[in-house]
Amino acid sequence: MIASVSGFRLLRVYIAILFCGFIAAPAHAQWFSNWFTDEESQVSINDAFINVYSGPGRGYPIFHVVERDEIITLLKSRTTWIKIKTRRGLVGWIKREDMQFTLALDGSKPEFPDNTQADYLVDRFELGGAYGDFAGADSLTLNLGYRFTKNLSAELRFADNTGQFSDSRIMGGAVLFQPFPDWRVSPFFSVGAGKIKTFPSSTLVQTEDREDNLLQASLGTYVHLTGRLFLRAEYVNHYVLTSRNTNEEVNEWKLGFSVFF
Amino acid sequence: METWFQRIFLIALLTGLATGVANAQENSGQGDDELEQIITPDIKRRTIKEDDLDSEDFEIGAFIGLLSVEDFGTNNVQGLTLSYHITEDFFVEAAYGISKVEKTSYELLSGGVELLTDDQREISYYNLALGYNFLHGQVYISDKWSFNNHFYIMLGGGNTEFAAKDYFTTSLGAGLRFYATDWLALDISTRGHSFEHELFGESKRVTNLETRLGFSLFF
Repeated sequence: MIASVSGFRLLRVYIAILFCGFIAAPAHAQWFSNWFTDEESQVSINDAFINVYSGPGRGYPIFHVVERDEIITLLKSRTTWIKIKTRRGLVGWIKREDMQFTLALDGSKPEFPDNTQADYLVDRFELGGAYGDFAGADSLTLNLGYRFTKNLSAELRFADNTGQFSDSRIMGGAVLFQPFPDWRVSPFFSVGAGKIKTFPSSTLVQTEDREDNLLQASLGTYVHLTGRLFLRAEYVNHYVLTSRNTNEEVNEWKLGFSVFF
Repeated sequence: METWFQRIFLIALLTGLATGVANAQENSGQGDDELEQIITPDIKRRTIKEDDLDSEDFEIGAFIGLLSVEDFGTNNVQGLTLSYHITEDFFVEAAYGISKVEKTSYELLSGGVELLTDDQREISYYNLALGYNFLHGQVYISDKWSFNNHFYIMLGGGNTEFAAKDYFTTSLGAGLRFYATDWLALDISTRGHSFEHELFGESKRVTNLETRLGFSLFF
């Protein structure tokens, strides 16, 4: 019992590493290319002035303004803020939305598109976490997805269910179909399959760990909150193909968040 | 005869002119190049795209601290965090920590009784939390030296593995983040990890307090 639990601890560490690598990968590609190129992005101010903040947040003080025709260097970005450097070497942060009041040195408008929900529909990775009620047990799900087309995505799911009488872990894959991806509240359904490993509580005697195959069908909806953040609510029907005479059916409610990259 | 001479002179003149013009063109071409070489490095003619900017929305951190496990004493805890900043206000944080527990007072007083084996005295947890940053500001170390800082609160869920069993755990946390530079942050915070166990026969909800000191890097 204990041995198998620590075996799964290894798996858990593995999932954590996978998780780190997965979400960092798309960001890293950019990071590396910037690391090796030494080109500076410079823009000039095309408005009366732009406020410069001491940090990447509206709560930080405005300690400087850059005026019309002043040339600034763009250093990096964090959330909706851009770190800049003036010609005199002063460093601060400006709002991303203020980029519309700047011009590139060749006179063109800098391309800072407003990301809308539609921008997260194709060619995107999805990372999500959800809390659920798995037949009385508390469940935590991590899902990693990739969206191939506007309507279709594939995902990997890892779930940890902790209950009073037994714990279980689910690992599986699923295909997810979203008929109306442009809607703010956009329903989806998915089918998947995987494995469930059940560990009955050690205080109950004469129990064994079991591993069974599992089919999943789910119905749910994404709700676009802001930028790349989506709320995801889901109703999952798990069909456990047990080695006993009867198969087991478990219904689960899940609520969580998803971020698209 | 005269026309012949005229022709010869004209041809000579024309070739001379042609080569002269050609030379002149070459020379002026060289002159332009030199001018461009002087001017161009100053003004880079290129469009600016957001994708060219390095975005630093991820944060990876390590922490050490003290974890007090109800009935089981207080011990060192260490762990790792990975955060993603969604907006300036909201972020998600995944954390993993390990610690161990002491003997309960009952075990100490009774002498030989051991409730848990050594392996079962190891405790580890993970959780995923949504956090909210607030009260951004600057602290002044001296007249000229200032640093950014802000407070945050967070709420999350996860699992605690303790005594060879998993317990669903809710975590509540708050802390102060102090930025040494904009990519290096110092974190001073507390967490309360709450779960229900039946190790003593009856179901009991415990809240384990944790105090942390951590560093994190933005990338």
